[in-house]
Amino acid sequence: MSTISYFFSRLLQIIPTFLIVMVIIFLLVRALPGDPAIAMADAKATTEQLEQIRQRLGLDQPLWIQFGIFVKNVFTGNLGDSILMKAPVTQVILERLPASGFLTLYAVLFSLLIAGPLAFVAALNRNTWLDTTIRSAFQVGLSTPVFYIGLLLLTFLAARMRWFPVGGYGTTFLEHMYHLLLPALTVALYTSAIIMRNLRSSVIEVVDAEYVQFARAKGLPERIILGRHVLRNALISTVTLLGLSIGNLMSGTLVTETVFAVPGVGRLMLDAIFARDYPLIQGLTLTFAVLVSIIFLLTDLIQAWLDPRLRVA
Amino acid sequence: MKKLLMATVAAAAMFSAVPSMAIERGGSLTFARYDDSTLIDPIYADRNPDIWMVTNLYDTLLRTEADGKTITSGLAQSYDVAEDGQSLTLTLRDDIMFSDGTPIEGKDVVFSLTRASDPDLSPWAGLLSSIEEVSATGNQVTIKLNRPDPTIVLMLATFNTAIVSADAFEAASGETDQEKAQSLSIDGFVGSGPFMMKSHQRGTLMQFGANPHYWREGEDGEPLPYMDGINFLVIPDDATRILKLQAGEVDGAEFIPFARVAELEADENINMELFPSTRIIYSPMNTRDTRADGSDNPLADMKLRQALNYATDKNALVQLVLQGAGKPVTSGLMASTTQLATDNGPIYQYDLDKAKTLIAEAGVADGTELTLTILAGSADDAIILSALQQMWSQIGIDLKVEQVDGPTRGAKNRSGEFDIHTYGWVNDVNDPAQVAGWLGYYPTAKAVGTGWNNEEFNSLYEASNVEMDPAKRAEQYARMQEIYNEEAPLLFMYETPFAVALSDDVKGYVQTPLGNNEFASTWIDR
Repeated sequence: MSTISYFFSRLLQIIPTFLIVMVIIFLLVRALPGDPAIAMADAKATTEQLEQIRQRLGLDQPLWIQFGIFVKNVFTGNLGDSILMKAPVTQVILERLPASGFLTLYAVLFSLLIAGPLAFVAALNRNTWLDTTIRSAFQVGLSTPVFYIGLLLLTFLAARMRWFPVGGYGTTFLEHMYHLLLPALTVALYTSAIIMRNLRSSVIEVVDAEYVQFARAKGLPERIILGRHVLRNALISTVTLLGLSIGNLMSGTLVTETVFAVPGVGRLMLDAIFARDYPLIQGLTLTFAVLVSIIFLLTDLIQAWLDPRLRVA
Repeated sequence: MKKLLMATVAAAAMFSAVPSMAIERGGSLTFARYDDSTLIDPIYADRNPDIWMVTNLYDTLLRTEADGKTITSGLAQSYDVAEDGQSLTLTLRDDIMFSDGTPIEGKDVVFSLTRASDPDLSPWAGLLSSIEEVSATGNQVTIKLNRPDPTIVLMLATFNTAIVSADAFEAASGETDQEKAQSLSIDGFVGSGPFMMKSHQRGTLMQFGANPHYWREGEDGEPLPYMDGINFLVIPDDATRILKLQAGEVDGAEFIPFARVAELEADENINMELFPSTRIIYSPMNTRDTRADGSDNPLADMKLRQALNYATDKNALVQLVLQGAGKPVTSGLMASTTQLATDNGPIYQYDLDKAKTLIAEAGVADGTELTLTILAGSADDAIILSALQQMWSQIGIDLKVEQVDGPTRGAKNRSGEFDIHTYGWVNDVNDPAQVAGWLGYYPTAKAVGTGWNNEEFNSLYEASNVEMDPAKRAEQYARMQEIYNEEAPLLFMYETPFAVALSDDVKGYVQTPLGNNEFASTWIDR
């Protein structure tokens, strides 16, 4: 199967995923106790006013009618108006998506820069003091809560040393780089620990493989052995892991976004849930579903490129 | 007949009492907020981050002074309530203008008040249900009422009756009223308040600039505001907001957690302000004979509710939760800063013996289980829970916990599926009718979900809403508070101030008891 037809067959698989996500999220969000009217006017509205709000938002309609309207809207590219933000859902999400995307990619970049070289050093010096030191340092990163690391970085590097701004996002690309450096580092300290562990064990596995020993017996220089044979093969499982964790990162930057005041979608999702903002929750979930599907697709493509055996799958 | 001519005389008298300080004009302030505004419009403002900003962008016909109680003139220089209480006449100031330089006229008032009292548009229309018709001739505005309304004058000093430009609103793009309000709030903003919306990046930054046509004068005899503008940054995390202030990146930060107040008070570069508020923290108790699941409800007995109130050491709660920055309530029905609030010292002062006597009289068995519903993730609620568990174990109550999120708690409150749950309230209007209606008047919302339905209270409340004699109305309110305190449908807890930390060169910033952020008279001492 060619790479192109592989790409399209994977693309088609996204559609049923998408439909299932739509049904599940529609029902789940309505199964939560409390509705947008209650969340909106919690301690203010009279019983009569609550009914008025429900009517205005169409919540008094039967569920299947509400679902019909939702599906029709999705296919006409209209996700409705956010109850909380009083603005179109698409607009609200598009305003917030870049910050989260920037932060996620920045964090992934940092994770690779930190984890990659150290994983190799640890693997090639297996069971020495160097290996132990690197692994225990990452263990600390893995077991410390993200918000705590974030606050420590903010307190010392931003508020005290004044090397970085205390949170925020900035307006230009360079400002984004500067403002998001600490949050990206915070997230990276956690993800790099996971990547490091995985990459280290893959490298160890590959280094012992027969084809590597054969390459070495052939007398190839170590540089080529590591670059062409070890790295490429060790990366396969790490790419999978990275793909999975980007999905997680995207929705899981919530804490980091809150601590560092980054206007991203993670925080928006939390606000939307607390406001029982059905249209916004639905819109965000669909966006996440699309993004995660695309990332998984890319992961598969990269894997297929790294390992031609996978293309027939 | 009550006639008031106030305006400049009152203002001058007020200012002369303040020791004069050389005010510096210009500059802009950067202020860190806990949450962003979504739509700052007099009628669509339904969340505090919106409500508390309205009067910076839109001026009201009348205003309240910093105490939140005394009425003074606004866009209207005087008002006059007809003897029969069926109408109200206001005289607009001369030479008042919107931020685009067009005059503020009678037609704008008619437009704004009609919009504000339209139940199809405004969630706040219920507060203006006495308005029959608004009309204007020249600078005279007449409001015809369908019944005498003792609250109407105060309502004209409240955010939801602020004046918007009829022409600008008409010209704004959008189909519906809300779409027009949304587009007016961003592109080509036109308002009547001391500031104008300059830009708004949702969730990040909101910028206000000074309105060059604002009428109200500062202490130096020039028009307000003193500053050229304000930048609002959205910093949801408490600790980050404080760090931002300490790093000098912002000049002010709101909603300082009470645990951090002492530390910031000790910082000589920071001015830690605790503004008196109308915010009360209380816990509604389910007073129905049976619980939602059909079982017997011990809380239906007033004596048990009283016993729980006596067994709760409010001073200890204030220390534990607020680090001392608050006080036990003096009226069960409203904060002491509210008009007509009774204040004879704290109610239900801690008295374990009384609590034991009452619980014995109620015949409540030792080890009776009650459930406290609290907000998951709220540090304050967790402290309240463990304190109450210990305090109430003294009188044989076994307090269980249920943790939920905000909307779930709201839904339980409405359906009566709870024993006791934590809750809070801040007044939106200066008149006590709003809070008394919510907490005590059954038809509004079942007396804050407690199911408490007291005939005498209800009829007093109804009578007070049409009582034009202030003395009689005050008596009615005194009696209502007496009944409410006695019957104790709530666990009465405490009042908390608004904690705002400012850089020490920021002067004249006020957060009113209603929560409004007042920046018009704020200046920076450089």
